[in-house]
Amino acid sequence: MERSYKAQKVIDRLGQKLNRQVVGSLVACVHCGNCTDSCHYVLANPDDPTYAPAWKGDRLRKIFKKHFDWTGRVVPWWVGAKSPETDADLEELKDIVFGKCTNCRRCTMNCPMGVDFATFNRLTRGLLVHVGIMPEGVAVVSKDQWELGNQMGVLKEDYIDTVEWMSDELVDEVGDDKAAIPIDKSDVEVMYTINPREAKYDPRTISDAAKIFWAAGESYTMPSEGWDMTNFGLFSGDDELGGTVSRRVYEKAQALRAKKVVISECGHGYRSTLCEGANWAQFDVDFVMESSVQTMLRYIKEGKIKVDKSLNISSYTYHDSCNFARSCGMTEEPRELLNLVVSDFREMYPNRAENYCCTGGGGAMSMTEYTPQRLKSARVKADQLKATGAKVVVTSCHNCVDGLTDLIKHYGLDMEVTQLVNLVANSLLVEKAAEVPEAEHAVSTTLAFAGRTILVVDDEADARRFIATVLEDNGATVLQAVDGDEALQMMRDKKPDLVTLDLSMPGKDGGRVFEEIRNDSELSGARVCIITGKPELRRLIYERPVREPEGYINKPIQEDVLVSNLRRILELTNKAA
Amino acid sequence: MTASHLVTLVPSLNDARQHSWGAFMCAENREKKVNGRTIRLLQHDITLLEGVDAFVFYAQHDLRLGSGWGNAIMSRGGPSIQKELDALGRIETCQVVVTGAGELKAKHILHAVGPRFQEANLEAKLKKTVSEVLAQADKAGLESLAIPPMGYGFYGVPLPMTAKVMVDTIKEHLESHKDSKLKDVVICLNDKREIAPFESRLSALN
Repeated sequence: MERSYKAQKVIDRLGQKLNRQVVGSLVACVHCGNCTDSCHYVLANPDDPTYAPAWKGDRLRKIFKKHFDWTGRVVPWWVGAKSPETDADLEELKDIVFGKCTNCRRCTMNCPMGVDFATFNRLTRGLLVHVGIMPEGVAVVSKDQWELGNQMGVLKEDYIDTVEWMSDELVDEVGDDKAAIPIDKSDVEVMYTINPREAKYDPRTISDAAKIFWAAGESYTMPSEGWDMTNFGLFSGDDELGGTVSRRVYEKAQALRAKKVVISECGHGYRSTLCEGANWAQFDVDFVMESSVQTMLRYIKEGKIKVDKSLNISSYTYHDSCNFARSCGMTEEPRELLNLVVSDFREMYPNRAENYCCTGGGGAMSMTEYTPQRLKSARVKADQLKATGAKVVVTSCHNCVDGLTDLIKHYGLDMEVTQLVNLVANSLLVEKAAEVPEAEHAVSTTLAFAGRTILVVDDEADARRFIATVLEDNGATVLQAVDGDEALQMMRDKKPDLVTLDLSMPGKDGGRVFEEIRNDSELSGARVCIITGKPELRRLIYERPVREPEGYINKPIQEDVLVSNLRRILELTNKAA
Repeated sequence: MTASHLVTLVPSLNDARQHSWGAFMCAENREKKVNGRTIRLLQHDITLLEGVDAFVFYAQHDLRLGSGWGNAIMSRGGPSIQKELDALGRIETCQVVVTGAGELKAKHILHAVGPRFQEANLEAKLKKTVSEVLAQADKAGLESLAIPPMGYGFYGVPLPMTAKVMVDTIKEHLESHKDSKLKDVVICLNDKREIAPFESRLSALN
């Protein structure tokens, strides 16, 4: 049988990508099995050998032996040398390297031979991406980052509107015009880069960071471009994407003559921008880069900001992000900072470089076809979280926030997820806001949703009642629907300004209702905020069978989160139809 | 739309909301005259260009706009573009279809399905796709057209190949199609690093 065109291309590409480190890892494995117990996939699937790192690694090792190693030429039967021959073989390989590994590197740390399995798992992903074989979510996100400059498809005007909105909110909150967030200010100490998830779905982290910069009196700016410090090239194995994305951040920092790039809390963004990007981009970096965790810690130590740990009243544990802790050694600074802003800190075991993956790493959140196996493997993490007895898990990674949120819902844990920036901002001691004159006060207390009609779709009466009460208290006219069909009819009849849509409904579930809305020429432009804890949400965000929702909120719903997110949607997004 | 229109209109997008990675470029080695018509390089968000009759979108076979530039077209241009595409169904590699541009500044979008991901006969297919884009532009009577670096980026066509094929094919077309109304062909780049290969190819033109 003649080898398929793509299979041959993969083999050719492997020859171009081999280097000493990869070859060292490919030949050094003695199949001792030490890696097996280190992998969360194996621990959750003890009877399935195909999850073992050594077995997974052998998929690439067989190709290497067959085509690039003398043992494969001399004793191919002994070393298991084998080629991929068909496109189906490549699809099978895809399901292993994308679906059965998050590149967390825990097996690497536990290999006595120093085999870096995660490195050649990433390499194998890159070989497949090169010939166009990848999960749909990886394709969607990579294309967004190549073309729009960020991996969540945030348009430039939406990003700037969001930053400006957060800036206005912060100025109102602290009563000081100096708290405004600068954009593209030159000759600053700090250029602050973020994860697009913050601009798209979690803008509170932007205003929290800005509040800290303001309180510290920092000379900083947010850039209008080159602001996305995440890098899907790390996940997809595409070094050229990796270099392109990193270069945008570096070039912008140089253009603004910023002395330092501060990277917000994101594990893979930190690793990509600080550790890998300059190599991918072949770029001489002439400025300092650091994590916002280090920045915040320094502000406290230098007395630039003051915090009161009694303002964070829950019990907290800390989840080490794989890229942040295991790959970049950032283990002590977050703990030191956390202990400065909370009183009840409970260590998780194992921890630091030995911590288990959140199960959302390596781009797993975007690969929704593997969600069932991801959530199954999350049992290990769920057990770890539960054993801490903490009510809140803190992490310095946006991927981990989503991964942990999904597994907390899936395993019914009574926990929340937050980040250090939120805790530091919440514990910040700042001067009381200036007295607001009576006239201005009247303006600022105008109800948030006055004149707006909002449709609340949820099958649970309690949930509907809670959301409706909050929205009505804030001036909205609220319509209610108990299922998808009623919601679609109400949207046609009443044309609400916004729809909050529960995903978990009997009958026609929310995901299907959402797709119907987007595919309906009359309704497609409606603003929709998904309310859920279901992983189905990830498919709508990452694979985008239709244009993504304007926002989402996790259950259980917090009143302030509900109001601020719906306000953002109503004020910043235009109806597309 | 003439070259002088382009020069005056594009810098008017002097708003950080609308600018892309860089600014308008008019250095000598970034512009070439062929038969009195202009081929020029520009670094800009192609979906926000003013002063061009149409721009090219590197489309998918099923003509779903999807992510990346497709997302920008959908969000900024409104739903009418996808609706037009839905009526057209599916096209094959090297084919091009033309739609309106909805609420975008350009009048039309040329949706071109080019080769992708190292497929066989990559260069020949890319050349055929660029030729078809120019043929469709002529058919629609366009005077100005913006084309992105075809196939480079997500679809993995090597940048030097994209630069060579695009510059050479556009030049050949402008030389050989004397009746073409095209006066401006803008190669619209996304990143600074994309400039050099196009610049050297453009400056090598006789």
